Amino acid sequence: MTMRSKRRARRAFWIGIAYNGIGLGTAFFFLAPFFVGILASFRPSAESGRPPLPPWPLTGFSFDAYRTLDGFGAGIWQHTINSLIVSLGTVVLTVVVSVLAGYGFSRYRFPLKNVLFVLIIATLMIPFQSILTPLFIILAKLGLNNSLFGLMLIYVTLQLPFSVFMMRNAFDAVPKEIEEAARIDGARDIKLLARVLLPLVMPGVSTVSIFAFLNAWNEFLAALVLLSSNGNYTLPVLMTAVRAGRLGAIDWGAVQAGVTVMIIPCLFVFLLLQRYYMRGLMAGAVK
Amino acid sequence: MTIVPTAASVVLADIRKSFGSLEVIHGIDLSVTEGEFVVFVGPSGCGKSTLLRMIAGLEEVTEGEITIKGRDVTDLDPSERGIAMVFQSYALYPHMSVRENLAFSLKMSRTSVAEIDRRVAQASAVLKIDHLLDRRPGQLSGGQRQRVAIGRAIVRKPDVFLFDEPLSNLDAELRVSMRIELARLHRELGNTMIYVTHDQTEAMTLADRIVILRDGRIEQVGTPRQIYEDPANTFVAGFIGSPRMNLLRGRWVGPGRVRVSGVEIDVPLSVAAPPEGSEVEYGIRPEHVEIDRNARSGMPATVEFSEYLGGTRYIYTRLTDGQNLTVEDRTDIAIENGQSISLSRHAGKSLAFDGNGGRIR
Ligand SMILES: Nc1ncnc2c1ncn2[C@@H]1O[C@H](COP(=O)(O)OP(=O)(O)O)[C@@H](O)[C@H]1O
Ligand SMILES: [Mg+2]
Repeated sequence: MTMRSKRRARRAFWIGIAYNGIGLGTAFFFLAPFFVGILASFRPSAESGRPPLPPWPLTGFSFDAYRTLDGFGAGIWQHTINSLIVSLGTVVLTVVVSVLAGYGFSRYRFPLKNVLFVLIIATLMIPFQSILTPLFIILAKLGLNNSLFGLMLIYVTLQLPFSVFMMRNAFDAVPKEIEEAARIDGARDIKLLARVLLPLVMPGVSTVSIFAFLNAWNEFLAALVLLSSNGNYTLPVLMTAVRAGRLGAIDWGAVQAGVTVMIIPCLFVFLLLQRYYMRGLMAGAVK
Repeated sequence: MTIVPTAASVVLADIRKSFGSLEVIHGIDLSVTEGEFVVFVGPSGCGKSTLLRMIAGLEEVTEGEITIKGRDVTDLDPSERGIAMVFQSYALYPHMSVRENLAFSLKMSRTSVAEIDRRVAQASAVLKIDHLLDRRPGQLSGGQRQRVAIGRAIVRKPDVFLFDEPLSNLDAELRVSMRIELARLHRELGNTMIYVTHDQTEAMTLADRIVILRDGRIEQVGTPRQIYEDPANTFVAGFIGSPRMNLLRGRWVGPGRVRVSGVEIDVPLSVAAPPEGSEVEYGIRPEHVEIDRNARSGMPATVEFSEYLGGTRYIYTRLTDGQNLTVEDRTDIAIENGQSISLSRHAGKSLAFDGNGGRIR
């Protein structure tokens, strides 16, 4: 081996070390809070008042915290199911409405189209807290207060401006010729949308889904205002009860257990949908 | 190959198209014979694509009637017209394999699986894409994508194939080989084909009949030979042929005689001759002009410059009255820029056009 190539090899080695070191360091800062929270949730109740470091249980793993958590409200399962119903319902409704609206805005010509579109986007500027009272009154008039369906409708409403915008852009990116070729091939209406266009706007759909799920899953204020019976509470509302503690004593173990329960579906949804961000899906369609 | 005209395949009757208040197609009448290869050619923006898309059913017809195989299809859905279309941009379904791309229309019409397999195999054999069936469009070259797009049209067994500039995204070499392939395909399938292009070479080589369009109107319809040798007006004369036909200002001085640049030239006698002394245009193609070695009787001109292309040479000259005239020359006479020469014309190849550009014949 010559001097030159030896030096080059050594250089590559140190660059590799630095590259991986920086990567590991960054990953550590992202993952540390998860580990601290998840480990702390397995502390026995006797340890729950201890300082946060070290986070791991000192006297063996225990499910005390989860048992305590289950003692709040109507039981952790009930609240998780409430949250899942609301969040998944929000995702489905948002996707259906925004796909149809995005397709319409992208492909059809109708009067006042651009005005309407700007109006929809403009609602993003209204702080949602300011319309909470009217929303509450409307839902009450519809007989939907204290119902998960009512809450779902509110989440869909809040989610739609962004989602319609996303989906219009997604449809705009699909060349018109592909749609025309499909029409000549005999695909019409729903078939055209489902068999040809939907696969092409899947990145947009997955973005919209992830946002809709996370926002509905984590939303607190509207859920607190609208839901009045214990059995209907979603997880964020339950968590404030847990955080408020009983008789002034906060069980930090139960809080960590609740946080852990709340993280799992978010991770799941993200991992499930991110594979649809296939790069270069459109490559080869035209040109 | 000779086409035996059997029946009208596509008939356009006074077709008009407006986008908003702007009319872009101004009343087109055309009858395409069964099995004919018709090429729409014209400058960009003249309405070729719009006309083709109206036949396909992708664009609504503002006025007029379209008949395919004797059936009025003016208001039918594209899939029910018995047509297939190949787009300039290929427009393949990127999320499907080549096989699925080919099979899609058959699936939509609920064809049996066995029949789908048979037709896909047949089409891919004709186009030599059998080995690509399991790839995605993204993994294909431009030429291969174009074949798949054509294959997608073939499996439908349409009455009429529609092509919208299918070769313009290919590089020059591939374009020539695909052009030959298309001609072969037409021979083998024998379907009616309507082909849009702005490339006159494609039009001349592929067409049984050429339709020349300008600004939403038909300028002339005819075989490539008719269009080339017998153009109806100065637009057609100038549009087809490279280098362009020479069109020179002149004056009608008597029956069948035109004076150009001080020289009197014989043109075909005409029944509808213009009044004596009126302005006309005189047309002659570059290959019908010759450099006169010795005769002093020809048209005097000065060589401005020349282009040497191997087999031929284009000589750009200036006449005594300042007009330009191009000569296609196949001799190897030594020529220098600035040299004075004398030009003679092939007998019987001269054309005359009246003041509005219409042919005098
Ligand atoms: N969707 C449309 N809206 C408005 N004008 C159009 C539309 N499509 C085509 N045109 C106009 O119609 C004319 C003919 O267009 P086109 O058929 O595409 O021409 P070509 O294919 O011959 O280049 C052009 O002037 C073009 O601007
Ligand atoms: Mg065009």
